[in-house]
Amino acid sequence: MLGKILNFFFFRGFRVKQTKKKFLNCLESELAEEFLQLLLNLMSLVFFLHKDFRRNIKDFNGRYLFRSKDNKITVAAIFKNNRMTVLEKAIDNTNVTVIFKDQRALMKFILSPKPDILGSILKQDVTLDGNLNYLSKFAYMAKHLQLMVSGGI
Amino acid sequence: MSAIILKDIRLKEYDLENMGLLKKLREEHSSAKPEVCIERSRYITLYLRDMSSSDDPIEIRYAKAVNHFLSNKGSFFFDDNLLAGTTTSKPLGAPVYPELTGMAIWPELDTISTRPQNPQILSREDADDLNFDIFPYWMERNVLEYTRKKYNDPKCIRLFQQFVFFLASKAGTISHTVPNYKVAFEKGVEYIIEEAASREARIKNNGNLTGENKEKLEFYQAVQIAMKGVIAYAQNLSKKAAELAKTEKDPARKENYLKMAGVCARVPAKPARTFREAINSLWIVQVAIHAENINMAMSPGRLDQILYKYYKEDIDKGTLTVKEAIELIGCLWLKLTDNTNLVPETAEELFGGAGTVPAVTIGGVDEDGEDAVNDLTYIMLRVTELLKTKDPSMNARYHYEKNTDGYRDRVAGVIVSTRAVPAFHNDVADIKTLENQGTKLEHARDYAIIGCVELASAGRSYDASSSIMFNLVSTLELTLYNGKRPVTGDDQIGPETGDPGQFNSFEDFREAFKTQLKWLIGEAIQLNEYFGRVHQEILPTPLLSSFLEGTMEKGKDLIFGGALYNSSGATHIGFADTVDSLNAIEKAVFIDKKYTFAEIIDALKVNFKGHDKLHSYLVYKTPKYGTEDPIAVKNSQNLIRFLYEFYQGHINYRGGRYRPGYWTMTNHAGQGRLSGALPNGRKANKVFASGITPVSQAANNISACLKSIGGLDNLCIPGGEALNLKYPNIEGEEDIKKFGQAVEAYFRYGGLHVQFNIMSYETLLDARQNPEKYPELLVRVSGYSAYFNDLNEAMKDEIITRTAYDVKSGRAVPFPESDRSMLGFE
Repeated sequence: MLGKILNFFFFRGFRVKQTKKKFLNCLESELAEEFLQLLLNLMSLVFFLHKDFRRNIKDFNGRYLFRSKDNKITVAAIFKNNRMTVLEKAIDNTNVTVIFKDQRALMKFILSPKPDILGSILKQDVTLDGNLNYLSKFAYMAKHLQLMVSGGI
Repeated sequence: MSAIILKDIRLKEYDLENMGLLKKLREEHSSAKPEVCIERSRYITLYLRDMSSSDDPIEIRYAKAVNHFLSNKGSFFFDDNLLAGTTTSKPLGAPVYPELTGMAIWPELDTISTRPQNPQILSREDADDLNFDIFPYWMERNVLEYTRKKYNDPKCIRLFQQFVFFLASKAGTISHTVPNYKVAFEKGVEYIIEEAASREARIKNNGNLTGENKEKLEFYQAVQIAMKGVIAYAQNLSKKAAELAKTEKDPARKENYLKMAGVCARVPAKPARTFREAINSLWIVQVAIHAENINMAMSPGRLDQILYKYYKEDIDKGTLTVKEAIELIGCLWLKLTDNTNLVPETAEELFGGAGTVPAVTIGGVDEDGEDAVNDLTYIMLRVTELLKTKDPSMNARYHYEKNTDGYRDRVAGVIVSTRAVPAFHNDVADIKTLENQGTKLEHARDYAIIGCVELASAGRSYDASSSIMFNLVSTLELTLYNGKRPVTGDDQIGPETGDPGQFNSFEDFREAFKTQLKWLIGEAIQLNEYFGRVHQEILPTPLLSSFLEGTMEKGKDLIFGGALYNSSGATHIGFADTVDSLNAIEKAVFIDKKYTFAEIIDALKVNFKGHDKLHSYLVYKTPKYGTEDPIAVKNSQNLIRFLYEFYQGHINYRGGRYRPGYWTMTNHAGQGRLSGALPNGRKANKVFASGITPVSQAANNISACLKSIGGLDNLCIPGGEALNLKYPNIEGEEDIKKFGQAVEAYFRYGGLHVQFNIMSYETLLDARQNPEKYPELLVRVSGYSAYFNDLNEAMKDEIITRTAYDVKSGRAVPFPESDRSMLGFE
């Protein structure tokens, strides 16, 4: 049993390392392909392993939908029971839906080099439907995660 | 009897070299770094979340929250200022109002301290408090979200959230007003409590406690609760000052602590007896108002009038010297600038550099229409000249029939000396404009400036003068593109008013333009109404209401229309660019028939690339606002009149009318960066002209410029206007006199306001290139002052390119050839 648990954590730790590397590479890349999936996967893993980061979703219920304008990418993130679940499909009853031009635009919107929510909306790279405060919370978590994995904090 | 006893109205014998305290305080202020202060948000949030009772009516619940904060607010003495009380827990603090706009910094909690543009320091501990404790409570409750949900995500909110059509600053709460501070220092806050208690008792005795009486009862109870919070804060300050005095070794500082302890033990609870008590009473009330309401343009008003009695009595008694009065006013000026706005990074880039704009108004006439200038007016001018701080926003009223030339020229001299402040306001026109809005003559004469340039009957009217900031260019573009805008792509935003190529006359185009205007203004007004209703439901303002005339008599919070006068202000961005574009269309398409509408629109779509001849024609051969060209005069006057009539036809949620104005803060730069090319030849993404000012380099003769702007019907501009002018250099008494005479001439034409930057293109270009050489270069933006280095690049460009006029010839000074690419049409 103990072996299984250790393996489980070791495997998660390994996945974090791998995802973190890919995520950091993605942030530097021009197209930022797979940015959203990498961000959500890494976020989900770090929530699992990192107690302080997990505090962000303690008692937090939130349903997010991220969708590209061409409908090629649809990813949902659900926060419930102190856990985060990522689904590659549309969900209903969302608190906020984020519709983005492309992954690069989404990355710029949330993270890099700084969260540019207003600028992205002004340029129509990203449109929102729903409660902006949920997005602000998500953007904070994403930025914090980026700083954690890049050694910024 | 003249109120001028000073031998030298310039007060030249007093300068920072012999005013050691002011010099030191100013240096400390200059070196203070802005810090985010979460103290208020913590107390208010925790009270509402954990300690309040949902059985309490909202008026009382909110009053209790404010009382809780004020009773627990820290007593800080950061420096040797003679006045006690601080807006925040930091020497230069940016308070967080999560119920309003504060949540916008959530994504930046980890980076706000280190961002390149105007960083605001936030500790890790405070960031965690905001992230884990404070912001989560407001996720479903802040004004914007509450409004969105209550009104089912209406189109007006969606338009607002696109930021390129209009901004509705009700999300920025109740702000932009001139409270009646006089009641605090003349009668005392205890008097307000007694009055509210007595009115409460009368209602209770009446026996009918339902409906309107119940609401009145709750209001009077809320006032008492909030006012007790104000007194508690003052008492805490008094105790802390006394404690500090006990351990202080420096005799001067010890004496100051003891004096502050005595002052705060008395005011604002009781009436002030001295000049110092009156000033500190006013300051504590200002701090208390910010405990409840956001720090945006909460304006102290006519300080030279309301404080004069105390000054005069103390001077006559020999208990105050002119030097001490200068010191006390200087201390107040520095206190008024002890706080700043909390601004997210992108907003800083687009709209940055603004202060909190507490406006002080001096001079003009009194309620009887007589010259009101007094010694204190000149003391305030001297303090402004010495300190050169961006706040308070200084405004000099000038009545060309009642005020002396000496006063006019002294104000002009201070503008030359500071290069920027104060702004000039025309008493004759301003008073008529307010009267036309239904303000009684004596109340109109007692007007003060709110924030940038807006007019209020001081302490009597609640004008919410910054309710709507409307982008006129957005409606012009909607008309050009049949209800769409280049910046918003293929979305059908406005009504389909037709392909302009099909219009047979300029009148057809103008009608389409009016249709778009009516539609979009209607949306902006709708949103403002929603925000107003939401404030009534969740965020009343009993504390501020106590400091506005009318509320006690009516038994109503100001958000329900309790003030004596009510209105909502709507200001307009891109006025000159819009008028010049109308001129260009009329001339090019319908008068000269030189180009078709389709050709112009094709050129706009590609930012005039490959259309040099057409571009040159539009820039150089079409009429320009700011000249006496009859087409430009007609189009500017028509637009002003149309907007006035349309807005005035709308009554707000408090029973007042909407008032159009023309001042833009920094929005003309930010919105300009987001707009496509325009028919006046302005290229895409270039800044718009500011306020009511002509497009840079379009008006080459200052006399014609002043005549054309002064000729606009000022009765149609009740929301105020900002005319920004620039002289490269003014030297010597003769030039100053000429400068003052130019202002007077403009006012005789009918202009409401004018403000200046006295600096050359070369100085400003050098300041942009070498910011370290100009650490505190003060500039007038569009209704307020800022340090040049704090402005974003677009705003710097706009100030640099503003037309500069030679004071002697009145002709425009040529813009440096090497930098012409900065101009909007290059």
